[in-house]
Parts: sequence; structure tokens; C-alpha cells
Amino acid sequence: MKKLQHVVFALGLALGASAAAAPAHAQAFNWRSQDGQTINLMLNNHPWSQAMRDLVGEFTAKTGIRTRIEIFNEEQFRARLTTLMQGRSADLDVFMSLTSREGAVFHRAGWYADLAPMIANPALTAPDFNYEDFGASIRSASTFGNQVVALPINQEGPLFYWRKDIFARCNVAEPMALEDLPDAAAKLRACDANQGVWAARGIRGAVPYALSAFIYNLGGSYALPDGKPGLSQPASVRGLEMYANLLKNYGPPGALNHTFTQVIELLGQGRVAMTHESSNEFANIMRFAGRAQDLGVKVLPPSRDTRISKPVAIGWTATISAHSRRQQAAWLFLQWATSREIQAKLVTAGVAPPRASVFQGAEFNAWVAEQPIRKAWADALIEIGRTGTGVYQSPTDRVPEARDLIGNAVQQIVQGQMSPADAARAADAELAKLQ
Amino acid sequence: MRRVPLMPNSPNFSETVRLERERRGYPRLGSPMIARSSLRGSYIWMAAPALAFAVAMIGFPFAYAIWLALSEVILGSPPRFIGLGNFQRLATDPEFWNGLKLTLTLYALSITAQMILGTWLGLLVARSRYAKGLVRVILVSPFMLPPVVIGMMAIVILDPSFGIANWLLAKIGLGPSLWLSDPSTVILTIAGLDTWQWTPFVALIVMGGYLSLPSDVFEAVEIDGATPWQRFWYVTLPMLGPTLVTAAVLRSVDILRFFDVIYLTTQGGPGISSTTLNILAYRRGFEFFDFGYASAIMVTLTAVVFGSVMVFARLRRAVAW
Repeated sequence: MKKLQHVVFALGLALGASAAAAPAHAQAFNWRSQDGQTINLMLNNHPWSQAMRDLVGEFTAKTGIRTRIEIFNEEQFRARLTTLMQGRSADLDVFMSLTSREGAVFHRAGWYADLAPMIANPALTAPDFNYEDFGASIRSASTFGNQVVALPINQEGPLFYWRKDIFARCNVAEPMALEDLPDAAAKLRACDANQGVWAARGIRGAVPYALSAFIYNLGGSYALPDGKPGLSQPASVRGLEMYANLLKNYGPPGALNHTFTQVIELLGQGRVAMTHESSNEFANIMRFAGRAQDLGVKVLPPSRDTRISKPVAIGWTATISAHSRRQQAAWLFLQWATSREIQAKLVTAGVAPPRASVFQGAEFNAWVAEQPIRKAWADALIEIGRTGTGVYQSPTDRVPEARDLIGNAVQQIVQGQMSPADAARAADAELAKLQ
Repeated sequence: MRRVPLMPNSPNFSETVRLERERRGYPRLGSPMIARSSLRGSYIWMAAPALAFAVAMIGFPFAYAIWLALSEVILGSPPRFIGLGNFQRLATDPEFWNGLKLTLTLYALSITAQMILGTWLGLLVARSRYAKGLVRVILVSPFMLPPVVIGMMAIVILDPSFGIANWLLAKIGLGPSLWLSDPSTVILTIAGLDTWQWTPFVALIVMGGYLSLPSDVFEAVEIDGATPWQRFWYVTLPMLGPTLVTAAVLRSVDILRFFDVIYLTTQGGPGISSTTLNILAYRRGFEFFDFGYASAIMVTLTAVVFGSVMVFARLRRAVAW
């Protein structure tokens, strides 16, 4: 009898244990697990952010989580973000971050929540989320050690846009090599003195994004093999010189105060025949009448001598503040916003998807097939995703300062204050202080 | 008892007050009792909230800025005290000296233009019988506009490629200007923008000051046969002295802190040709996360602002009448 009692007791224990364990197994992912919460998002003014503002109602319907979205222009966005994060504000839950630019500094400051445990937890992450669907290079740009600091929301890089109709009218061939650009510019100027020829970024901090492919394609780099600044290497100086001279000789008046907003306006209005500007601005350019028909777009041509094509490829990310008290609700937002379903919708807003499955998906291909220029844009994006680099300054954690110094070298050449070689040497001396 | 009217200019005013206070049993004015009990007891406590507010809202941020200026600040870490290290860095930083030169140049250009034009406009409006109502509203409107609007207007109007300013220059037979895009004209253009916006403000102050001047003085000089220029130079201008100094103080503080329109239109460029101390500090702080150095720049600028206010405070005493 006593033995039976023991068996019954043991059975009871086993049943009890399994019953207690059952909720852990059954605690499956639930989109409505944070129903009723409100999260605060601070976003940079970007096609992705604008699309989010329109789509976020779907997120609230799906999860029951309400959102408060603030969108600022990039400079104001960074200033406000810095103020809030330095103050360890718990009010901010989700923010955008360009991890290739500020990731190291923000990571060191402890501003990013670690997403790796959330990704690994099946109770918190949707079964179809598939983190590996993001390209390996994109994932690595947002990974510091074992910490995943952000999820990619787009991919972008500067592309070469040119007006096919103006080139044809002036009997100028499509540039197939980087060295063709100055020749094409000269022929276009000779053909029609009233037609603007070239536009590109001139503001210091914004310059390296558009400049770097000139340096890389001509065989240059920002660093010597030992990691010291290398802007004054002969090939790097040639790239610096070509970019600065195009701006100086064929750029619009006041080009040194221009960033992408002015460049896109000039291209969209038909005031310039070619530019090297962000793939991200494709949707904005297409809003101008006629541009979908008369514009060509591709990756900046490789150098005829080196055959190198090494464009810049970066991506904005969305991340969760380390100080947020609503990290689980914020994580649900991040999953929703970077899901395959939402990224497929964002394509029509001109946001290039960082998920491989979306790029290969039927929706994307149907959208691309509608206009030839969309196909050209998509092909260029695939190429920069394959060959591009997110590094476009000499090695340092102080990335914004380094890019500012590189941009300053271009400005000095354009203003005739220094020769390209001297400007590069002076920049290298300053860049070395940041290492 | 016959009550004497309580007129402040009456010769027996103070005596009347004393008698009335005695009759009501109040303590004698100026007596030790009033200083100790009433003043310290109730008045100081009544001022305490305002004092606490001032310390919290003005004293603490300023003290914190000085602390940051004396520290090395690395993002995410607590500040590390380095004494005058940031100020030593300032002394050898060419961008700082360039910023100081630009700040003072912009200040000199703007304050001179605004005081001269504002005085002229203020007197014109005050003396004109037609410049009432609508004209004064129009006069006020530029400085009612938010800086963002001014900045955006400047970007659109002064753009060398598609702005209307160059189109207008061409219409009157002049060549185009690069305005904000040329290192040699950018500070002049920014001073022009500030002058356009704030001259009416000076004009309103001058107008108010002029209308409050005693008319008998002007009648007297008119009877004495003074010319309009003599009337302006020897009477109007000296009598407007305190008003003009007040306007100059207000504009000085504002111009030395001028940031928004510059940042919107040029972000300190081309190159560093419009990187005033404010812009430099902003970039160092919020773009390069170098908060200690940025604070040192701002503390230095605060000293410049404070110095200019002190100069005008002395000037105000000199022109008082």
C-alpha cells in the first residue's frame, strides 16, 4: 500500500511538473502581448519615416499598441536624440540610427538596447521573422561584438543619374568609365551653355558619401595599409581632384552649400544633366514630370584603368533605446516595421528593402516591371549591395569629424585655397589626430 | 482732522504718511523693527519661490555649463574634470578665432545698420501723420516671423540658381551674386537678413521713446530758430540716448547669440566662412559629441555677451538726462 502511495505521489509530482511546465512551452509569440501600451518613436525625415507615418495604423490594429511619432530633419533629429539620450530619458522607445556613422559612439555610450536576446527568444519574436533574411553585410554593420544594436530598414548608396535626352541631343555618349565624366561634362557645356551640367554635394559633412566612389574606383582609399589616414595617396588625390573639379567647373553656383535636397531639386527640375546622388531619393526624383522617361540611373562607372567599382552602400536602421521601459512593445514595432509584408509595401514609396526575400519577391518584381527606370534602379541597388562598402573615412571612432575633414578638403580645392595634393595632406594630418 | 491729499509731489507728503501710519498703529518706516520682523520675516519668504526658481532655471544650467567647460565629456560617461584644458585648446584652435572674428564682424555690421536704420524709420513713423494702424502692423511683422520662415525664405530668394534676388538684379542691369554661397559675401548677406528682420523692432522702440519726450523742449528750439538737422542732432538724439542704448542692449544680446537663421541657410559654410561661435559650439557639441569643448566655447561667448551689456550699462549712465 505504501509502495502504491509512493507511485501515486511520484505520478502526481510528474503530472504537476508537466502541468507547471506546460505554460512555458505554450507561451508562444503573440502580437497582442503588449496590447494597450503606447510607444514613442523619434525618426529622421526620410522616405521610410514618411511611409511609417502612413502605415502605423496597421501596427496599432494588429498589436493594440499606440504610437507617438516625431519626425525631424537630420540635424535636428541628431541634436534632439543626443539631448534625450544624454539625459537617459525613458520616454523615448524607438529611434532611427545610421550605425555606419554613429554606431560605434552610440554603442560605447550604451544607448542601444541589445536585440540579440530578443531575436533568440521565440516567445518574443514572430516565427516568420527570419533575421538571416537581411544581408550579411547589413547585419554586420549593426552588430558590435555579440550585441545586435539595430535592425536595417533600408539600403542605399549614391548612384549616377544622367539625362539621356540631353546626352542624345548633344551627341554625348553614356559614360561607361569614370574618366568619361569630365569629358562628357565639357561636351555638354560646349553644346548648350545654358544647360546646367553637374550637381553634387558640397556641404562638408555630406561630401564623403558622394565622393568616395570617385576615390575607390580610381584605386585610392582613405587609409594606408597600416591604418593611418591615406587621403594623400596619389590615387586618392586623383579621386578628390576629379570630384572637386566637376563641382568647381561644372557645378551650379553656390554648390558648396548644397546637400541632397538642393541636388535633387536641380535634377528634378531639369536644371542639371547629371549627378551622383542617393538611391534613396529615387522616389522624390520620379515625382518631377518627365524624369521617369528621360533619366538614366546606374552605379557610378568603374575606372577605365583600374576596373574597380566600389560604391558606398549603407542602410538606416531602427533601434530600441537602452533606457526604454517599453522594450517589448518597441520590439514588436521593430519586427512589424521590418517584416517582409511591410517592406514589400515600402518599395512603392521608394524605400529599397534590406530583406533579400523582398528583393526577390513577386510584389517587388511587379512594381519594377512597370517602368524601365525602376528596373535600372533595382539593378543598381542589387549591385551596390553586392560590391558596396559602408566605410568611407579613415579608421576612427570619430566618424562625423573625420567625414567633415574630408569634405573640408574638397571645399578648399573648389574655392582654390589649396591644390588637391596639399588639401589631402592637410586633411591627413588632421585625420591622424582623430585616431 | 483735515486730510491732506496724498500727492507724492506735495511738500508735506512724507509727513502725512508718517502721521497716518502712527494713527493706524503701524511701525515707523525705517525702524529696526520693520527691518527685522516684516522684511526678513514675510518679504524674504515671499521672495523665496522666485529665488528658488531663478536658481533652478538659470543658476544651475549656467553652473553646469561651466562645469562641463572644465571637463572632458565622453558620450555616455560622467564628465572628467580637466581644469582649463578646454580653454587652452580654444587658444590654439584657428576655428575658434575664426568664429570669434565672424561673430564680432556680424555683430558690428548688424548693430550699426539696425541702429541707424531703426532710428531713421522710428522717427519717420512717429512724425508721419499717415503712418498709423496698418503701417505700424506691417512694421511689426518681420520680427513676428519665426526664424525657420526667415531661413527658408532666404534659401529660396537668395539661391544663385533659381532665386528671385538674382533675377531682380538682372532686371536692373546688375550681375548675379552668390549671396550665401560666397565666402566673401556670406556674412554681409546674413547681416542683411538680420537687419531686415530686426530694424522694425528698433524703430518701434525709438518711436515709443520719441513720442514720450516732452514737447515743450521741441517748441522752445523751434522758437529759437533751430534747423531740422540742429533739432535732430542737438535735441532729439541726446534726449533719445537712453532709449537708443536700451534698444542697442536688446539687439546686442540677440545678435551675439544669433544661430537659427545661419544654421538653416549655410550651416556655417561655405567652408567655415559663416561658422560663428554659436555654430561652432553646436557642431562640436551635437555633431561631434565634444560637449566639454562646446561648453567652453559657449562660456566664452557668454563672457563676450556679458561684456557688451556692461559697456552699454555704463553708456546708459553717460547718456541719462
